[in-house]
Amino acid sequence: MSIITVRNLRKEFKVSKHHRGMMGTLRNLTTREFTLVKAVDNIDFTIARGELVGYLGPNGAGKSTTIKMLTGLLTPTGGEVMVNGRVPHQQRQLYVQRIGAVFGQRTTLWWDLPVIESLELLRHIYRIPPDRYRQNLHEFTSLLEMESFLNTPVRSLSLGQRMRADICAALLHDPDLLFLDEPTIGLDVVAKERIREFVRHINSARGVTILLTTHDMADVERLCSRVMIIDHGRLLYDGRLQTLQDRFGGKRELVVDFAEPYPEVTVPGATLTHYHDLRATYEFERQTISASELIGLLSTQYRIRDLSVREPDIEGTIRRIYQEGLLTGDA
Amino acid sequence: MWHTLTLYRRLMSVQMRSQMQYRTAFVLETLSTAVIVAVEFGSVALVLNRFGGIQGWTLAEVAFLYGMSETAFGFMDMIFAGFDPPVFGQHVRRGTFDQLLLRPINITTQVMGSEFTLRRLGKIALGLAIFAFAVQANQIIWTPLKLAYLPVVMFSLFLFFGGLFIIGATITFWTVDSIEVMNILTYGSSFTIDCPMTIYPDWIRRFFTFVVPVIFLSYYPSLYFLDRPELAEAPSFAPFLSPVVGVGLLLLALRFWHFGIRRYQSTGT
Repeated sequence: MSIITVRNLRKEFKVSKHHRGMMGTLRNLTTREFTLVKAVDNIDFTIARGELVGYLGPNGAGKSTTIKMLTGLLTPTGGEVMVNGRVPHQQRQLYVQRIGAVFGQRTTLWWDLPVIESLELLRHIYRIPPDRYRQNLHEFTSLLEMESFLNTPVRSLSLGQRMRADICAALLHDPDLLFLDEPTIGLDVVAKERIREFVRHINSARGVTILLTTHDMADVERLCSRVMIIDHGRLLYDGRLQTLQDRFGGKRELVVDFAEPYPEVTVPGATLTHYHDLRATYEFERQTISASELIGLLSTQYRIRDLSVREPDIEGTIRRIYQEGLLTGDA
Repeated sequence: MWHTLTLYRRLMSVQMRSQMQYRTAFVLETLSTAVIVAVEFGSVALVLNRFGGIQGWTLAEVAFLYGMSETAFGFMDMIFAGFDPPVFGQHVRRGTFDQLLLRPINITTQVMGSEFTLRRLGKIALGLAIFAFAVQANQIIWTPLKLAYLPVVMFSLFLFFGGLFIIGATITFWTVDSIEVMNILTYGSSFTIDCPMTIYPDWIRRFFTFVVPVIFLSYYPSLYFLDRPELAEAPSFAPFLSPVVGVGLLLLALRFWHFGIRRYQSTGT
């Protein structure tokens, strides 16, 4: 059953042309010239309950405009949006009671209050039953290792601590759906990993549907089986991450350490890119030859001491998609 | 409704506690809001003393008008601080206003609860002091009706200024460039009201009677409290329109505010 249904969703902004200088200011006042910007241009998708979907796109692609429409902050120019059985921008108060949102760049907590008091305040705002609140608080604070800073004012938290507190705050009222916007931005590797683990946990153990926007491909790789890619307001790709990788990923690499030096190590189906001091690197395409075939070929001719296969990184794949518009008209 | 009210109380107490964390700053700021009123009224008083009054108004009578409106403005500035246009404009620009829209409570309550400037107590205290001086010096003949009507006028002024703040805040949905213009709207109107309307030329007085009827807000009530002779020229109901103007402007402001929010949701500044 789908929790988010989006049909022909559009959002256009009128951007007034600004002329500069003295005369420019006068012109701005007298004539109103607009250019129409299509921030979101006819997109369709559905997300089923319990999914964890990555929503990707370069800056200015229409990501945050979509999120703002899904959270009810913006009214669409056209099309339909139905989330959790409601039209977000029409029944704001009822709608937001059942969703959670974390915007990595800002906090929803009260700056001068100790974390626990902010959470208490949210308990009242969302009218969370006391028992439920206690259970959730207990579970989240231990999973996110928040006990040490529960009594610290938010303004004195480190970025990683603040992010954990914000994620906890967004989930106390048992939302059906969680919007995570850049939840790992600016964090160190350990902090990122902790947050990813927690996100995965609430998705799998609690069945919370999650829409994750991020620029961190490791987030996507670790968490999302499905990704949607938006650019210039259009949905370029919607499908499994693996499929994206298979179709548009760059070349894979095989690194081989030979047991003894050979003058000639070329092999059909792969290109030798590097050979030095017993170590050879081959590039090969998934469509041409599989890794095991290639390894088989090599091992019949040479004595191999060790080898490893390097997959093309998703970051590179996505970057190629943005830059070369690989998917345009093909999604 | 009850839920909203208790929440408002909670949000307010958060704001108070936050401010109390910086005790020295709080004390200094409270003093400074008092000093501003003192300097402003002091300069008016000096001028009035030099000329022995203005259009037949003595210093004590001007103080009545002044103290009443400053006190009301002080209370408003404390309670409606979330709508203070420059502050609210920042919330809109930084996206913190969006955070409020993501919570399941009435948005007006949340904005009111987002700031509570306790330091305005300085301004309120001085306003009350000036008002107390005026009451003392004018030897007002108190009647039960006057006693009952005084808080009504104060409250009407409070609502009126609150309305101005809401209007100013709403304008920041369109532009944050013209904060100064909004300060003229809010602080400017409060200062206009501080002075007896007789000092203004006819056209300004007509403007404040028929276009923006602030003349009924505190000027006519003051004539009534002070038993001023000008009252004879006005219709007998003139001093009693204060709540109509106060409540009226606040309601208009709230309509404009809701219109602004709808527009904000469709343009997303």
